[in-house]
Amino acid sequence: MSFITRNVFRALVQGSQLSKGLHTSAVNGDKNHENAKEGRIKCTLIPGDGVGPELVYSVQEVFKAANIPVDFEPFFFSEVNPTLSAPLEDVVNSIARNKICIKGILATPDFSHTGELQTLNMKLRSALDLFANVVHVKSLPNVKCRHHDVDCIIIREQIEGEYSALEHESVPGVVECLKIITRAKSERIAKFAFDYAVKLGRKKVTAVHKANIMKLGDGLFLKSCEEMSKMYPRIEFEKMIVDNCTMQMVANPNQFDVMVTPNLYGNIVDNLASGLVGGAGVVAGASYSADCAVFEQGARHVFSGAVGKNIANPTAMLMASANLLAHVNLSTYSRQLKQAVYTVLTDGKVRTKDLGGQNTTKDFTNAVIHCLT
Amino acid sequence: MAVRLLSKLKVLPEVRGVTFATAAPATATLSDFDAQHKTPVVRKQAIIPVAHYGGRHLVTMLPGGGIGPECMGHVRDIFKYVGAPIDFERVDIDPTKDNDDDVQYAITTIKRNGVAIKGNIETKSEASYVTSRNVALRNELDMYAYVINCKSYPGVSTRHKDIDLVIVRQNTEGEYAMLEHESVYGVIESMKVVTATNSERVARFAFEYAKKNGRKKVTTVHKANIMKLSDGLFLETAKRIAKEYPELEHNDMIIDNCCMQLVAKPHQFDVMLMTNLYGSIVSNVVCGLLGGAGIFSGRNYGQHYAVFEPGTRNTGTAIAGKNLANPLAMINASVDMLEHLGHHYHADLIRRAVEKTINVDKVLTPDCGGTASSSEVVNSIIHNIGSGVQPFGSIK
Repeated sequence: MSFITRNVFRALVQGSQLSKGLHTSAVNGDKNHENAKEGRIKCTLIPGDGVGPELVYSVQEVFKAANIPVDFEPFFFSEVNPTLSAPLEDVVNSIARNKICIKGILATPDFSHTGELQTLNMKLRSALDLFANVVHVKSLPNVKCRHHDVDCIIIREQIEGEYSALEHESVPGVVECLKIITRAKSERIAKFAFDYAVKLGRKKVTAVHKANIMKLGDGLFLKSCEEMSKMYPRIEFEKMIVDNCTMQMVANPNQFDVMVTPNLYGNIVDNLASGLVGGAGVVAGASYSADCAVFEQGARHVFSGAVGKNIANPTAMLMASANLLAHVNLSTYSRQLKQAVYTVLTDGKVRTKDLGGQNTTKDFTNAVIHCLT
Repeated sequence: MAVRLLSKLKVLPEVRGVTFATAAPATATLSDFDAQHKTPVVRKQAIIPVAHYGGRHLVTMLPGGGIGPECMGHVRDIFKYVGAPIDFERVDIDPTKDNDDDVQYAITTIKRNGVAIKGNIETKSEASYVTSRNVALRNELDMYAYVINCKSYPGVSTRHKDIDLVIVRQNTEGEYAMLEHESVYGVIESMKVVTATNSERVARFAFEYAKKNGRKKVTTVHKANIMKLSDGLFLETAKRIAKEYPELEHNDMIIDNCCMQLVAKPHQFDVMLMTNLYGSIVSNVVCGLLGGAGIFSGRNYGQHYAVFEPGTRNTGTAIAGKNLANPLAMINASVDMLEHLGHHYHADLIRRAVEKTINVDKVLTPDCGGTASSSEVVNSIIHNIGSGVQPFGSIK
């Protein structure tokens, strides 16, 4: 009970914080978005669950302080809080219209209460066709880790594969979960990975698979990647089995450049690689469809233990929003913001708990703002 | 699917035509880029996914030789300023090399990106086995149609005012078949190849273009009185296709007469359809009438690739690096590219600024009667785009 009241209270508080509030969805539904101010960009904002709202608030503070010409269109969107959540269609329409979105993490309960197998995250992805997830894992200055100079990009297919939400109990006690791999989607993600490598001037693409066991499913994925690699003669292509890949990743992560993976392997490798450079609080990610881009944390953890304690690390969210700025051609702001975050980390005076410090989210945000102005 | 197979087997050329015609109305809601990728016509290459992610397109940039690199630099500056959601993949081709590796690589990048913007590529090698790289590129990508839209700018002083005509040129065969040989010592034969398939494709393209853009008339330019079989086939095909478009007027004209008419009474022309070499000549004549080689842009279209370039395909090596080159042709090509990809917002912004620069401010390079340098023209355009730029405009 107390949990529910707390959530309701938080949602309301957050509504008032976000200047427009919860109930703007009805207003956003109509088509009068033409009168957006000249030279300003509209961006959908999903604070999410757990520490999401605190981190998003930090981003908003920084944007306000740096005078970045982005207006947010906030939606409270949550699976664990279905009564307060904005309808999926509203959120999807908003993102489709704005083309860009900043998203906190959505909590996904382990048990389905409604019998539905698709999580809200998956619904959002499939509604917008956000097929590619990109996590750029990069060592940060003055963040103590076992490995240095890690710099790899993990690209994950996130529409199909193990996340098809097709499960059934054929006989009592026997549950089948279907993993779907299609040629069209495999080719699409492979091309995305190579194009991303081209765009960033990377040298190598590694396909992660388990085709020695799943000869047909992962075999198709691997074959699609191999075929696509022929179109990119100046980029090296290699393949690696997922178990070996995880071992190599913890032993010698510097060998990787761009990695392309099916859905579940990508999820695992993302989290593993994030752990190598400082944890979920420092790695930014993004999801792309043909038309939209959603910027979020690279490793999606709700961190519900820290809710309201003001200890979460906003680095990942700030980096994600810097990537958003670069995506919409505000590269000067993007560079400034990234530089400010790097400066704060390098100075090392302000550190959140996950990096061994005692400072709060608020302190870190203020330090970044101080560097910006 | 069945239609696709049939047309592949070349059993029913009419069916192919019908599919094209029925697919055309659907293009109203699609950008040209999408339409090109969805229209079910003969597909020679396997279709690969489009390089379009998060609202941004990846596009091949081939700066080429001469003034190409500096003009590309201007385009990049302008794109950066308006915030066009385009990422460039730059491919440099070394003109002094004898092998075709760079060109092949450039072709591969266009195949996967679908769209390219290019300057004129130099072919310095004199060896006869090294073909012109521009021609190789067009042939390899099967870009059968070349379009130049020539519209007078009131700010450029010319003999004729208010000219607005479109030249559609067959781009892959005809005199550019590059089949020459010395049959007997001292006797050289050069083959001009005209095929029914390609003539039909380009004719249909011209009529579809005319219909879609609200044009009234199509003129087929030929020399069928001398080359009765080759140009005859081209003319016959155009006449046959014209019957399918009763709403459009169609006439034909012999190339020599056409050139004379162009310089005397250019207003009688609307859309002009012609074979390869005539297209080269006529497009240069028209560009000359309207203010020189530096203004107009051309578009190469194939089944699913499109390449945009300055209209008259001159390298301009003599004025390279002197800040004298007219950047307008390349800028217009980039506007065409934005339109093709469906980024009308940014295309309109740049086009309006270009028009204002030419017509109102009259900031022009010496080749069209002005005194400004390239960078002054570009700065004026950027100035005219104004401050009200929405950095990430809506893509509709």
